Amino acid sequence: MSYLYGGKILRVNLSRREARFVPTDRYASKYIGGRGTNARILYESVDVDTDPLGLENVVCFGTGPLSGTTFPGCSRTDVMCKSPVTNLIGNASVGGDWSAELKYAGWDHVVLEGKAEHPVYVDIHNDAVQIRDARALWGLTTYEAHEAIRNELGPDVKIIGIGPAGERMVTFATIHSNIGNSASRTGVGAVMGSKNVKAIAVRGTQGVGIADPKAFLEASLRAHNTIRASKYYEEFHTIGLTLYEKACILSGLEGGGDGHANVPPSFDERFDYYSMFEKHCYKRTGCTGCPVHCMEAYHVGGLGSTVMSCELYPQLSYEIRNADPYFHYWLVMTCQKMGIDSVSTATIFQWLMELWELGIIDSTITGGINLEWGNKDGVKELFLRIIGSDGIGAVVAKGMKETADYIDARVPLDRRYDKSSYWWAMQVNNNPMYGVNPRMHGMALAYAVGRRSDCIQDLDMVEVDIANFPVYPEMSEDEKKRLTDEEKALAERVSGKIGAGDLDGYQGKAEMTHDQGITTGLPDMMGTCKWHTKWLFMDIEPENYAEALSAGTGREVGVQELITASLRLRNVERVLECKMGRRRENDTIPEKEFGRPVARGFWKGKIGTDRKEFERMKDEYYALRGWDAKTGIPTVETLLQYGLDDMVEDLPGRGGFGERRPVSEGDDAKLPDLDGKKERDGGSRETKTATR
Amino acid sequence: MVGDPFTRDDGNGMKLTDSASAGTSGRAPSVLHVDAEKCTGCRNCEIACSLANRSECNPVRARVYVVRNQKDGHISTVPVVCRQCRDALCMKMCPAKALRRDTTTAAVIVDADRCLGCRTCVEVCPFGAPAVDYRTGKADKCDLCNGDPTCVKFCSQGALSFVSAEDESFQRKRAMVSGYVEYLAGDAAVGI
Repeated sequence: MSYLYGGKILRVNLSRREARFVPTDRYASKYIGGRGTNARILYESVDVDTDPLGLENVVCFGTGPLSGTTFPGCSRTDVMCKSPVTNLIGNASVGGDWSAELKYAGWDHVVLEGKAEHPVYVDIHNDAVQIRDARALWGLTTYEAHEAIRNELGPDVKIIGIGPAGERMVTFATIHSNIGNSASRTGVGAVMGSKNVKAIAVRGTQGVGIADPKAFLEASLRAHNTIRASKYYEEFHTIGLTLYEKACILSGLEGGGDGHANVPPSFDERFDYYSMFEKHCYKRTGCTGCPVHCMEAYHVGGLGSTVMSCELYPQLSYEIRNADPYFHYWLVMTCQKMGIDSVSTATIFQWLMELWELGIIDSTITGGINLEWGNKDGVKELFLRIIGSDGIGAVVAKGMKETADYIDARVPLDRRYDKSSYWWAMQVNNNPMYGVNPRMHGMALAYAVGRRSDCIQDLDMVEVDIANFPVYPEMSEDEKKRLTDEEKALAERVSGKIGAGDLDGYQGKAEMTHDQGITTGLPDMMGTCKWHTKWLFMDIEPENYAEALSAGTGREVGVQELITASLRLRNVERVLECKMGRRRENDTIPEKEFGRPVARGFWKGKIGTDRKEFERMKDEYYALRGWDAKTGIPTVETLLQYGLDDMVEDLPGRGGFGERRPVSEGDDAKLPDLDGKKERDGGSRETKTATR
Repeated sequence: MVGDPFTRDDGNGMKLTDSASAGTSGRAPSVLHVDAEKCTGCRNCEIACSLANRSECNPVRARVYVVRNQKDGHISTVPVVCRQCRDALCMKMCPAKALRRDTTTAAVIVDADRCLGCRTCVEVCPFGAPAVDYRTGKADKCDLCNGDPTCVKFCSQGALSFVSAEDESFQRKRAMVSGYVEYLAGDAAVGI
């Protein structure tokens, strides 16, 4: 067994009820692990016409070399599959204790293939792998199912699994961990549900081998202390993001939707997550190996217990103009129990409520549900119907595009202002957006070019900070100014462009987004948490990873090697995305967002993304990535540069990307011809929207 | 008992030249103090302990164990580690006399050469603190890392701390009433 790795990848074929293993070495030297290896496995496993919810799709669960070690944040699992939401790469990351435990059991990755005959769960105890009957667990909430499995296999077993929403293949269903967080985006829970797998339970007692234990321990401790000395550490590990999210509301940054232009100013003030935190948070909690403990464990008498953090605060409260903190709490808790993505849910609700306000939909469409802003009963009813896939809920559960088609078929064009109802949907490639505003320039770019069509991965958080500091609660004016200036200087340093921290400008945004893409790629491959990097203002640098990997494996690992691996990873994903039909024109934000300034809050009337400048940012970004400016496909030179020689033949012009185009060998100039006829995803949708 | 760290007053067993020893610090040996309320269940202590003492990352072989209980989404996490009892049952009951008190740290430590692997210590300890390691077959328990516990360094919440036995309880008492002054001054709306 090589140091830091379990050494084996477990492939479970559910149709045939058999498990086999593949040595990790085949991937590790090039793709390191986690998201890197996952991307390569997915690339080898799925095809252009793979049905995301069909037999051929696979779900890859990946740990990284630092999973399960003393390195801070050592327990992230990267989940990758073809997404039922975007029809492109589906990817989400989940913390908890599962990743570390899988490593202790001697496995680096688990790949689920095929489909089980009846509901099952996979039980991994070191080398022993069993497929167990889960018919009795089907229909149970995540809380109940995890408890039932613990009762069966013992208290130390670590579990990730789906809830009732995943079983019914709600396209934004999640995979939930023991601890309270989940792999939420792009419908990974639905894919697991389509395979009839309720959960994967792991117990490992074999440990992770370290080449130089003393040096590794020292490197880890240094990394821990670096995090503890970071700027936001004190705040995040005491009160979490309760104040930070409040600042996002006050600045006008949260609230991507149109309707928010009409939110009365006093409404902003009513969102006080902090007082909810003070009243009901009984404990801080977090994932295995984490010094930050970003999650708040809540208990509210009569409602129950749950865990909240970060985006969970503003989504189902502010986004849907629900001013009742306890109803918000109930929604979040139910999302967790049912295994459904609260971010997507909130964005979809916000869209439907906006359509309701505009008079486009009414109770005949919604099946009698009143979706006025802030109507709790209406939200609750539709929410339960989505989870139960009942009536209109079954339509909404299929995603925004299907819902829009359903509405458009029933509402005459003139009542829709001559547009498709999809025009109001806050989505990128059908993936419901975060509540964060795409009117900030770097943010808009991150939404567009992100690998799973949301901003979070490549998001340039410095920009968020610059927007938030002017309204940060409980901070003096001097402090606000000092911190803003610091962040602006940081933006200029990272991008190498003067004025990169300027919210009105477009300069340096591509560089910063590119830089963040590299930064977030590293922890994803290492199996650690990206919150500890500069992505969220903590100070773990590539040097820390290099140091730990060198000590852990006994082989000298350089920073440049890691950065190259991160860049290589994004190219593997990009080739796969492009193979699935993504092109430059799919890298965009909703049409209506162009030229619209922030609708409310501190930045009201300011900052909006101009389309021309947006396209120019994309040009810059593609150039940095080495992707073709016309198509957004990685160039042959780029692939060769990162040692992806075997993927070159997949590029169009080299005989790849399907049979639909007769292209002469090496003739790249013909590529633009293909753009109009993308088969599945964005292309056809764009065309439809335009003709309506 | 020569060098018994609990009875320093005779001074006979202490070498004053050894500056690292408890004898010259003027304080009683420090103890590993657990504040379960602060524990978030991150298990950094477990992983770090196993790496420091077992040269691999493997919580099963760690000397500290975070007990996690969950019920309907409600979580409790409590680190359980050897209390280094004054009248240690493990030490008394060991048929091979393989357990002894370290003169400097006051920790009960295992002499692996003497240990039979008979599991008596595991059975008699009310806390389940000692374990017979499944690889070596010998008893294994917290030795306070020779007076510099690794787990404490990795606990960012302060749920584990290494404090002087003289004022361990005072620290707890102070934490308990820390809000009182502000409350009496009327500055802060502290809920009591």
